[in-house]
Amino acid sequence: MQNTVLVVGGGPAGLSACAGVIGAGKNVVLVEKEDRLGGAPILSGYAKLVPSGEWAKDAMGRMIKRVEDSALAKIHTGTRVVSLDGSVGDFTATLSNGERVSAGSIVLTTGFTHFDSINKPEWGFGTFEDVLTTTQMEQMVAGGKIACPSDGRVPERVCILLCVGSRDRQIGREWCSKICCTVSTNLAMEIKEISPQTDVFIYYMDIRTFGLYEDKFYWKSQEEFKTKFVKARIAEVTRAPDGKRLLVKGEDTLVKRPIVIPFDIVVHAIGMDPNVENTEIARVFGIGLEKHGFIDRAEHYTNTCGSTRRGIYVAGAALGPETIDDSISQGQAAASRALADLYALVQKTA
Amino acid sequence: MAIHEKSLIDPDRIMTHESLVVDGVDVSGHWNTMVAPRFLSDYDDDFVNVIRAYPGGENVHRCWQCGSCTNSCTMYAQNTDFNPRYWIYLTNLGLKSEILKDKDIIWTCVSCNKCTNICPKDVRPEGVMKALAHWLEDEGHTDKTRSSIFDEEFTGQVLDHGRIEDAHVVINFLRKTKQPYFQDWLIEAVKRLMRHMPVGMLTMLGWNFLFTPKTRSWGRTGEVLREYVREQKAAAHARMKEAAHV
Ligand SMILES: Cc1cc2nc3c(=O)[nH]c(=O)nc-3n(C[C@H](O)[C@H](O)[C@H](O)COP(=O)(O)OP(=O)(O)OC[C@H]3O[C@@H](n4cnc5c(N)ncnc54)[C@H](O)[C@@H]3O)c2cc1C
Ligand code: SF4
Ligand code: SF4
Ligand code: SF4
Repeated sequence: MQNTVLVVGGGPAGLSACAGVIGAGKNVVLVEKEDRLGGAPILSGYAKLVPSGEWAKDAMGRMIKRVEDSALAKIHTGTRVVSLDGSVGDFTATLSNGERVSAGSIVLTTGFTHFDSINKPEWGFGTFEDVLTTTQMEQMVAGGKIACPSDGRVPERVCILLCVGSRDRQIGREWCSKICCTVSTNLAMEIKEISPQTDVFIYYMDIRTFGLYEDKFYWKSQEEFKTKFVKARIAEVTRAPDGKRLLVKGEDTLVKRPIVIPFDIVVHAIGMDPNVENTEIARVFGIGLEKHGFIDRAEHYTNTCGSTRRGIYVAGAALGPETIDDSISQGQAAASRALADLYALVQKTA
Repeated sequence: MAIHEKSLIDPDRIMTHESLVVDGVDVSGHWNTMVAPRFLSDYDDDFVNVIRAYPGGENVHRCWQCGSCTNSCTMYAQNTDFNPRYWIYLTNLGLKSEILKDKDIIWTCVSCNKCTNICPKDVRPEGVMKALAHWLEDEGHTDKTRSSIFDEEFTGQVLDHGRIEDAHVVINFLRKTKQPYFQDWLIEAVKRLMRHMPVGMLTMLGWNFLFTPKTRSWGRTGEVLREYVREQKAAAHARMKEAAHV
C-alpha cells in the first residue's frame, strides 16, 4: 500500500501541496531543481507581496519552515525527476541523484518562467542600463533605495510598461499574465514611498486589477500615491540626446498623438511564460500541454487539478498565469485529490 | 519640398517666415514653410497640482477615463468639442498646450452637474471645469467671463459704499463687457419702472443714482474687508497647493 505523495516543484503551490499531505498524516517527497525552496518569490527576490503586503522572504519562509519541520517530509533540492514508471497507486520515480521514490500519486507544481525581455529588443532591455524588469525593480525596492543603475542618480520619473511578454501575437504570447497589473500598481506605490520626489507613470492598454485588487491597488496607487496612467502601448525606448535619460515613444491613444517622453528608469512588467522545461516535463511524466505550452488540465468540474494522466495532479502557475494566493489554494486542492488516491487504495486493499 | 497639402496639417503647426536662414543657408521663398513637430515631447508633472489647488479641482487625479461625464454632458450634446473627460486627462498629464486649444469653450460648462452625479470615481468633473476656467482666467489665457465681471462690479460697490446701486451695477457691467447700454430688455424694464413705481421711490432712486450715498458709518469697513478677503484667498490657495502635493 502506498503512503506517499510525490510533489515536484517547491514554490508556493508545491509547499502548500506538501502541507496538505502532511496535515493528513501521509508522507511527502518534495523534489525541487534549484538549491532553495520558495519558488519564484524567493528565487527572483520579490519585495512585498500582493495582496498581503508581507515581505516575500517572510511569507515564503513560513511556508518553507512548515514543510521542513515535518518528519513526514523528505526534501530533495538541486534535483529533478528523470523518469517515471508505474501508474496511479504505484508510481516509481527515478531522481537525478539516483534515488528512487515510490508514490501513490503525484502533484506537479513546476510553475512558470519569467518572460525574458531580451525578446522585445525595441524596449531597450539589455541595451540601456536603466531599463529594468519588475523583478529587478522589486529587488531594488527590497534594497530600500531607488536609483538609476547607470549613475546612481535618484530618478525624477519612472515609467512601467505593462504587458511586456504578454498579449502579444508578434512573439506568440496570447495570454494575459493576470498579476502584473496589480504588481505594477503596487510597485508604483513602493517606489513613491521610498522616493517621494519620483513620479511614476504606468503605460497601459487595459488595467486588469481583478477582484478585490481594484481599489486596494489600482485606486490606491492612483488616488493616494498619484501614479499617473497613460493609455499607450510603447513602440520603442531610445537614448535621449542628453545621453542620460531614456525616451519612451508611442501613441497616446486618448490624445491621438505620438509621444516622445523622457524618463530616468523604464520598467518592463514582465509576464509569465510556460516553464521552459515543460516539453521535458511532459515527456517524463507522460502528460499533455495546452496550446500555449502550459500543462494541460483535465475536465475541471469533477476532476479538479487533474492532468491528462490519472494519478498526476497539477497546481499553480504550471497551469497558466496564476497568483500566489490561488496557487496556494490549488496546491491544497491538488493535495486532497492526491490523498484521495491513497485512501481509495486503502479501501480497495481492505 | 514645398508643402502642398496644408489642409492635412493642424494650422497652428504650420510656421511660415518672411525670410529664413537655416545653418547659414537662406531658405526664404518657396522653402520657408516649416511644420512644427507633432509629437508630444514632455509632461508638466506639477500642472495637476496647480489645478487641484483650485476649488473643485481636488479630485481630478482620480479619473480613469471611462467617459461617463462626457457622455452625460449637457454641453457635449451641443458641441462634441466640449469633452470634460479629455480635458481631465490632459490635466493629469500636464499637457497644457492641448488644453489651451480649447480655452474658448471650457468656460461654457453650465454647471448642471450631470457629470458629477454619474462619475464612478467621484472626480467631480463640474468642479474641474470651474477650476480649469479659473486657471485660464488667472493666467490671462482667457478674458474675464461676464459673470466674473458682474461679480467684481457688484462686490466692488458693496465694499466702496456698503451697498449697491442697481443702475450703476447694470451700466458699469454693460460698459466693462462692451455691450450697448440700450438693450431692449433694459429699456422695457426702465419703462415699466417709470410706469408702476411710486413717485417717492423713483425720486429716491434718482437721488441715489446721482449721489451714491454710503451706508451710515461705513468708514474704513470696505478697506478692512478687502484686505481680509485678499488674505483669506491667498491663505486658502496656499493651503490647497500644499494639500495637492501630498
Ligand atoms: C514580477 C512578478 C511579481 C509577482 N508578484 C506577485 C505577488 O506579489 N503576489 C502574487 O500573488 N503573485 C505574484 N506573482 C506571481 C507569482 O510569482 C506566482 O503566482 C507564483 O510564483 C506561482 O507559484 P508556483 O508554485 O505555481 O510556481 P513557481 O513560483 O514558479 O515555483 C515553481 C518551482 O518549481 C521548480 N521547478 C520548476 N521546474 C522543475 C522541475 N522540472 N523539477 C523540479 N523543480 C522544478 C522551480 O524551481 C520553482 O521552485 C508575480 C509574478 C511576477 C512575474
Ligand atoms: S495583468 Fe495587466 S500587465 Fe499583465 S498581461 Fe494582463 S493586462 Fe497586461
Ligand atoms: S456640469 Fe458642465 S461638464 Fe458637467 S455635465 Fe454639466 S455642462 Fe457638462
Ligand atoms: S466620469 Fe469620472 S472617471 Fe469617468 S471619465 Fe469622467 S471624470 Fe473620469
